[in-house]
Amino acid sequence: MTQAELRLCSLLLQEHFGEIVEKVGNSLLRTGPRPLRLLVGDTGLLPDQVKKALCVLIQHNLVRYEVQPRGSVEYEARSERILRILRYPRYIYTAKTLYGDPGELLVEELLLHGHLPMSCAVARVADRLTETMEDGKTMDYTEVSSTFVRLADTHFIQRCPIVPESPRSAKALPHSAPALAIDEKDMYIVPRLSLVGKGKRRHSCDEEEEEGEHKTKRQKQDGGSSETPPDDGIYWQVNLERFHQHFRDQALVSAVASRMDQVCGSHLRSHSGTELFPFRFLVFPIQTSSEVVRTMLRMSEVTTASGASHTQPLSSNEIFRSLPSGYNIGKQVLDQYLALLADDPLEFVGKSGDSGGGTYTVKVTWGPGVSRVSPSSFPHPSLIPPLLHRFGSRCARIFRLLLRKKHLEQKQVEDFAMIPAKEAKDMLYRMLSENLVSLQEIPKTPDHAPSRTFYLYTVNVMAAARMLLHRCYKSVANLMERRQHEMRENKRLLEKSQRVEAILASMQATGAEAAQLHEVEEMITGPERQQLETLKHNVNKIDASENQVDETIFVLESFIESTTKRP
Amino acid sequence: LSMAGRGRGRGRGQMTFNVEAVGIGKGDALPPPTLQPSPLFPALERRAAPLPGGEEGEYMLALKQELRRAMRGLPYFVKPGAPRRDIERYSDKYQLSNPVDSAIDWNPGGGTQEGTWVEHGDVGLTGRLTNLPLCPPDWRRLPRELKIRVRRLRKGRTAPLVPKQHVALDKEETIKKLESLEKKEEEVTSEEEEEKEEEEEGKEEEEEEYDEEEHEEETDYVLSYFDNGESFGPDSDDNGDEAVY
Repeated sequence: MTQAELRLCSLLLQEHFGEIVEKVGNSLLRTGPRPLRLLVGDTGLLPDQVKKALCVLIQHNLVRYEVQPRGSVEYEARSERILRILRYPRYIYTAKTLYGDPGELLVEELLLHGHLPMSCAVARVADRLTETMEDGKTMDYTEVSSTFVRLADTHFIQRCPIVPESPRSAKALPHSAPALAIDEKDMYIVPRLSLVGKGKRRHSCDEEEEEGEHKTKRQKQDGGSSETPPDDGIYWQVNLERFHQHFRDQALVSAVASRMDQVCGSHLRSHSGTELFPFRFLVFPIQTSSEVVRTMLRMSEVTTASGASHTQPLSSNEIFRSLPSGYNIGKQVLDQYLALLADDPLEFVGKSGDSGGGTYTVKVTWGPGVSRVSPSSFPHPSLIPPLLHRFGSRCARIFRLLLRKKHLEQKQVEDFAMIPAKEAKDMLYRMLSENLVSLQEIPKTPDHAPSRTFYLYTVNVMAAARMLLHRCYKSVANLMERRQHEMRENKRLLEKSQRVEAILASMQATGAEAAQLHEVEEMITGPERQQLETLKHNVNKIDASENQVDETIFVLESFIESTTKRP
Repeated sequence: LSMAGRGRGRGRGQMTFNVEAVGIGKGDALPPPTLQPSPLFPALERRAAPLPGGEEGEYMLALKQELRRAMRGLPYFVKPGAPRRDIERYSDKYQLSNPVDSAIDWNPGGGTQEGTWVEHGDVGLTGRLTNLPLCPPDWRRLPRELKIRVRRLRKGRTAPLVPKQHVALDKEETIKKLESLEKKEEEVTSEEEEEKEEEEEGKEEEEEEYDEEEHEEETDYVLSYFDNGESFGPDSDDNGDEAVY
């Protein structure tokens, strides 16, 4: 674990779980797996505090435990999972685009709580949705349940490992910690529950206590929630890998689109902010190649093992049948597109056989495919933009050149890139000093005399990727610290503004006049308002930047992971 | 004797490799040596590219800030227990409850004052408060050593309830002297185990009903009105509940 990762994990834990959890997490991250008493000693916290923190961390899958042979339990932090906290908004937004508001809220609840039983999750989401509906309307459990089932069917959520059934004999001592396990095949099976009910509306804050009182009474009378729920012991969590697969598919489709949908290519690029919405939305008929790839990926959603390099082979007949309705291209045309895609040097699609009119697979790794990389294509989509902005477009040109040609001498770089020698030198040294390019020595003579040695510039892709990733972590950590600093600096003003809003709200509730309201509003002076506006603007900007950097982190991590996995 | 390579002023700037091959021509001025660490904030040569805007970006931004706010209010955000005061004060009885270290308060209502303002609140968004019943930690899935014992200050008041799920909240200052029976503040319950291991393992003790905030005090007075006078003074701006004139 690098220092940058450690620092980022620390900040994430502190921001979302508080300082006590951060201290415990920190200790585990820096010193490795340890048992409880060592943790207590190391952090200097009270034992109860440490226990509480560990419960929270385990609940959220950020720490795992293992029973050691000698009976003690060791806890280990999962750093890569902690870093995923940064991506929570993206997961939730994706769920919204795919499954609407119920899907969004289900994923959000599961992320907020780590894991939940289905009955609990459905109830909470129904209540929240009911809150947003018009008066008198409620959200029925069945709609939320069906969304839950769809999420499970497409593997976006999965069951947590369960406590094994252990025979309870009088003599058997319960273990110090349960060994949780689950079979792959059981992971997506939704228990048969008949969840009946409607969301309960929560009244305004003032009446909350009464409502709560009524609720408790109602619950007691119902007897429903005082019994063990039917899905006791079955917990669900978000399947992050599946979301990553989805992001990857999106990137793949947009890469195909930008490369092959020539007519729409520039059109798409100008809409750089918008995601390509998924399958059931209207698609322009011109984007045929990307649509074909998207269809193939959709068909392979749950059949592709995570970490596989290709999807399962799909026959062109199957693909033809699975194209979205309203998409009327002939079978011949489809075959032509498939052939085109298969022939493309970037190997998005490979032909794997001839049965069923030809079978095809989609290559789904972030493979280098370095040999014939073109600037906008997907194997190195994000190595280039950071360079573009930091060093300038000419540096980027040199970098791309080196990626393509692998090894070049100083002179050759100047010639191929068509950049004057002095500038080229300067750029190369800057990139060299940042470790983006490296020098390779090739001696001509056995004595390695400097005057008779070739010095070639080259890009070590993995090293460059790792270095950029490290910088990304550092960037996010810096952004977070800056944001927290801004909030601290303006703490007094923020508290004042919150108080004023509270007063305003209570006055409005009791029916105050406009003049009185205005008077209260005036308590915040003009310059103070300005200051608050600036603060809000800055904080928003920093937050948006953090989201943006996380996108780059995702690409780099996927790339590194898939490249190191290959034999 | 002139040692090889030690010449200062002769052949200055020679290096082990052929500088021409790397591109440094003869007579080119080399950059001056670096004598200090690089500046903390190096000058930006180019401004960063603008952030992608658009609906997706806006929505994710809102989500992010919303999540942050929500998580601060959830009981998973562990706050340290209230520091012990130097002297016991009468007003402590009437203070709004403070978190207790040894309580796992994953339970309805949270007691973390979700309906009010949290520290470092994020600017601008109305919260979607998750004030709904939570499921307490499933002790079957966690190592036994993590179970926390809470000293109960009230002796057996209610009959034990059947299920584990329906636990209520009980929070109290851990001042053992105030163990009188008529005191009922907010209640925290967590499951308790007997101290001795030889006896029942994992047997639950009594659990207590969760009384809503209104019932916690048997006084007619609204709790927040109690001002113990400590915050009197020019530099106290704690009393956010009173109107500011």
